[in-house]
Amino acid sequence: MNQAQAELPPQATAAGRALQEYERRLAAALAMGGPDKLARRREAGLLNARERIARLCDPGSFIESGLFGDSALRPGTAPGDGKVTGFGRIEGREAAVAANDFTVMGASSSATNGRKIGHLKRVAAQRGLPLVFLGESSGARMPDHMGSRGMGTMLGNDGTQYQRLRETPWAAATLGYSYGSSSWYSVLSDFNVMRKGAILAVSSPLLASLAIRETVDPEALGGWRLHAETTGFADMVVDTDEEAIDAVRAFLGYLPGHCNEAPPVRAVPAGSGEGMRDILGLLPASRTQVYDMRRIVRAIVDRDSYFELKARFGKVATTGLARLDGRTVGIVGNNPMVKGGALDTDACEKITSFLVLCDSFNIPVVMLVDTPGFVIGTEAERKRAPGKIMNFMNALSLMTVPKLSVIVRKSYGQAYLNMGGGRNSDEVAAWPTAEVSFMDTQYGVRIVHGLEPGQPGYDEAYGRMNQDSEVWPMAGVFAVQSVIRPQDTRDYLIRMLEVHRMRPGNGTGSRLMRAWPTSY
Amino acid sequence: MGTYEVKAEVTGSVWKIVAAVGQEVEPGGTIVIVESMKMEIPVVAEDGGRVEAIRVEEGAPVAEGQVVAVMAG
Repeated sequence: MNQAQAELPPQATAAGRALQEYERRLAAALAMGGPDKLARRREAGLLNARERIARLCDPGSFIESGLFGDSALRPGTAPGDGKVTGFGRIEGREAAVAANDFTVMGASSSATNGRKIGHLKRVAAQRGLPLVFLGESSGARMPDHMGSRGMGTMLGNDGTQYQRLRETPWAAATLGYSYGSSSWYSVLSDFNVMRKGAILAVSSPLLASLAIRETVDPEALGGWRLHAETTGFADMVVDTDEEAIDAVRAFLGYLPGHCNEAPPVRAVPAGSGEGMRDILGLLPASRTQVYDMRRIVRAIVDRDSYFELKARFGKVATTGLARLDGRTVGIVGNNPMVKGGALDTDACEKITSFLVLCDSFNIPVVMLVDTPGFVIGTEAERKRAPGKIMNFMNALSLMTVPKLSVIVRKSYGQAYLNMGGGRNSDEVAAWPTAEVSFMDTQYGVRIVHGLEPGQPGYDEAYGRMNQDSEVWPMAGVFAVQSVIRPQDTRDYLIRMLEVHRMRPGNGTGSRLMRAWPTSY
Repeated sequence: MGTYEVKAEVTGSVWKIVAAVGQEVEPGGTIVIVESMKMEIPVVAEDGGRVEAIRVEEGAPVAEGQVVAVMAG
């Protein structure tokens, strides 16, 4: 640059004008849907797409991809084309992030933002980055998708768009009205946290109302209660955007960055294992009384590390991620507090999806067993119980990550196998309180001996059969490998997980269920 | 302040009625205990409140989803 050029105002040179145009366009892209829409969100206590990314990623680490994306059909109308995508670090690890910007055309799916999402997914899969979807979108952009030309142009250009091979973890937060792509990605993900007030559905209440000619209540169509309690599509429910994004960070903290590495190891918090001394106090004295298995889980795992998933769905079982000696484990526990811990079809699906998650990302599984068996009866059969029980069993059989089973109290019938009995775990341990049989002794005496309570010989037959349910005969035939004191459970699990570490695969398993369904 | 129904989550028989009409119950407090599958399974008032009515009797059969009590809270 010579002296004369340097003294000219910037707009007088081609480069200067180009830079000014850059600044103008940058400001327009960052302005998103404009100050009014952003202000309304702020008043409602909602974060916007860029604030959500800032909350998710380590400070200053986000590098955007596609900032100048725009509507391909109506250029100049859609800052970022309604979806903000890029890469940022989460607790120091690279991740790919897509945040829907509802202030721009309702974050509707379009040609350009479809390419942005596709790029993000390809990079995540190829380079081994977890993928985060911050969902809030209205569905397909209109009128772009209308008619056969619209359909032919807009849809189906990527045959892998909704394919899931679990190369890397996917985590989703459903943070508003989520129809179309946001709901698809929420249910395709390994984790979906829902903020109260968000709606996850195939299409909007308006369209649903037009289609079925009745007014549809959004909460009934796809509110948090539906997905937490009935569909199981919400792994967690929170009150605010901030809590949802923090939950995504916490979830990913348990997982490896990709399928070819072991999960991260954390420092063990002080006080971990302190509850073990009194653990037997959490088990009621009478075998007919119930208790909350989650209290036993929390006593065993590293302090405050139990991250329960689908807590309001299939509550007869508890599933969640935790750490033992700083290492991630998956916990599957029967919960006698609900229906005595009898396994129903919702619990089968919840456990199956959890086993697939753990096996796909090299997370060992610990099963804590106290169940009288599967719920039986006409209602269970109508809910396709045999199919659900065998999906669960097949998943357990296909697992190549370590699986350890601890029989706390009851283990009966087919549920004995589903909860890792026999060779269905790498190791089975039992507390001395364990009782194992094909069915409850009272039913067994009736069916085997045809005796009712009070009839001659009933008490003797009951006594004999009941004694046979104790753990010792089973230990005698090596069908349990260890009988342990309850207070030693944490130490036993830590030690046995060391023994079973996946050395030949350098901490990784064979991932035989990487293409299993992502929801049921 | 409104009322809500407490429903049995499991089919069985009412083994014991724990709470009395008029009693204040903590959230998660037990209202009745149902015997099912040879287990004593508590039916709880998730949000607590005052017991307005008990709709079952000890020893009587109870079906999944049946209202066992009405709470004010």
